[in-house]
Amino acid sequence: MNKGVVLVVDDEAQIRDILGFYLKRAGYQVLAAENGAKALEVMGKVQPDLILSDLRMPEMAGDEFCRIIKGAPATRDIYFVLVSAMDGTASKIGGLNLGADDMIAKPFHAQEVMARVESAFRIIAMQKEIKRQNQKLTRFQERMNAELELAARLQIGLLPALPGAAPRFRYTHRYLPAEGIGGDIYTILPSGEGGLALMIADVSGHGVTAALISAMVKTSFESQVRLGGSPLDWAQGMNRDLARNTLAEQFATAFLARIDPVGDEMQYVAAGHDAPFRIPHGAKGGLRHPLVLSGHGFMLGLEEDLPFEAKKSPFEAGDRLVLFTDGLVEVEREDRCLLGEEGLLRLCAELPADEDEAADYLVAQAKVFNHPVPFGDDVTLVILDRIE
Amino acid sequence: MFNHQTRQEANASVVTIQGKVNFEVTAQLRDVIRDTVTTQQPKLLVINLEGVSFIDSSGLGLLVAARNSVDKNNGKLHLCGLPPQVKKTFDQTNLTNYFSIFATEQDALRGA
Repeated sequence: MNKGVVLVVDDEAQIRDILGFYLKRAGYQVLAAENGAKALEVMGKVQPDLILSDLRMPEMAGDEFCRIIKGAPATRDIYFVLVSAMDGTASKIGGLNLGADDMIAKPFHAQEVMARVESAFRIIAMQKEIKRQNQKLTRFQERMNAELELAARLQIGLLPALPGAAPRFRYTHRYLPAEGIGGDIYTILPSGEGGLALMIADVSGHGVTAALISAMVKTSFESQVRLGGSPLDWAQGMNRDLARNTLAEQFATAFLARIDPVGDEMQYVAAGHDAPFRIPHGAKGGLRHPLVLSGHGFMLGLEEDLPFEAKKSPFEAGDRLVLFTDGLVEVEREDRCLLGEEGLLRLCAELPADEDEAADYLVAQAKVFNHPVPFGDDVTLVILDRIE
Repeated sequence: MFNHQTRQEANASVVTIQGKVNFEVTAQLRDVIRDTVTTQQPKLLVINLEGVSFIDSSGLGLLVAARNSVDKNNGKLHLCGLPPQVKKTFDQTNLTNYFSIFATEQDALRGA
């Protein structure tokens, strides 16, 4: 049985022999050296778990040896017991200040040394266990981080590719999840004759669960659009999908719209979502009058068969649509003033014609408002221009 | 800052919430409501939102879940004291038509 490796360092052969005898009898593997320098040579071959070292030795004394052992990352975890002829409190403190883990006064009883060694090995065992647990946790965390990173990349892949363009439309987005992955999602699909189907949604909660549901929301929207029908049908279908497939507290606010460029019109359902802004002639940039699209309704997924309401709005050539999730407007200044819908509306009154410049400007302004705190919620901003 | 109190009336449990109700506090609040519903099994649960400065979607989810669990016990959930900011969120999400909402706590207790 080998309970561990003990290195005995003492210039007196008799002491090395006595300690060696007791340690071997107790089941330890014993190494011996007559001073610190020799001990370092021995340690070049075998690393001990515990060092029992005399203080006063020729060539390299115990204090210097201890400093070397405790100063090197490879050996600093070895349990170091300094055996000193001085039985004064001052020298004990001095030894512990050197980094020694314990002190034994000379002359000693072999039984006392053995009791200290047994106690030291209990500590060593605990330290090893902690180290093992830490490594396990670190490995787990690394794996989780890698998976989250992968999931985040996957989620970004679910968003429309940029620069976004469809015949007669140009669009861009800014997507800033609070925790790497988030519950915001938006998508734009072709629909009907030269039209677009678009959806922006914010799933309640954050992180992995919200991200999973956001993927479900996107899939549900796409299958609804494929079935044809109107935004009202889409909302009812998605509500059913979500109510059946998620838990009680999980739902999504969403804005669903179909834009028909032939009729210069947009049909939409606001399902508990912040109403987007329409900026007449906003695609040209400059000073404009943004309008809040009216309408409100239940969030998706609350309960099956809740009623939704469809609305209409003009959407003409040169118009701009600004869609966002609440993370963008629920930013709070130090004086607790929220940017809010009103604040964002003011910012939208004068935007650059270029969608990307406009999106960067809005996100930057919201960040300034929130300074110095980063966004606490997922933030998504979409700017859609109908080009002339 | 977020705060909450719970007390018992003759036929109702009253949970009073103050501060910002967002995802950071929903876990705590969920426990409070669940404990109240399971231990008291109230015929009427009143949640007073008078002191709430802000409620986000996870907070709304919590209230929806509260209604579901009270429903299961054949009880009722009454909300009261919605400040304008909170009222606006409720209007936007149509939850004004989903919950029984009262102006004051007295009204909510009487409305049983």
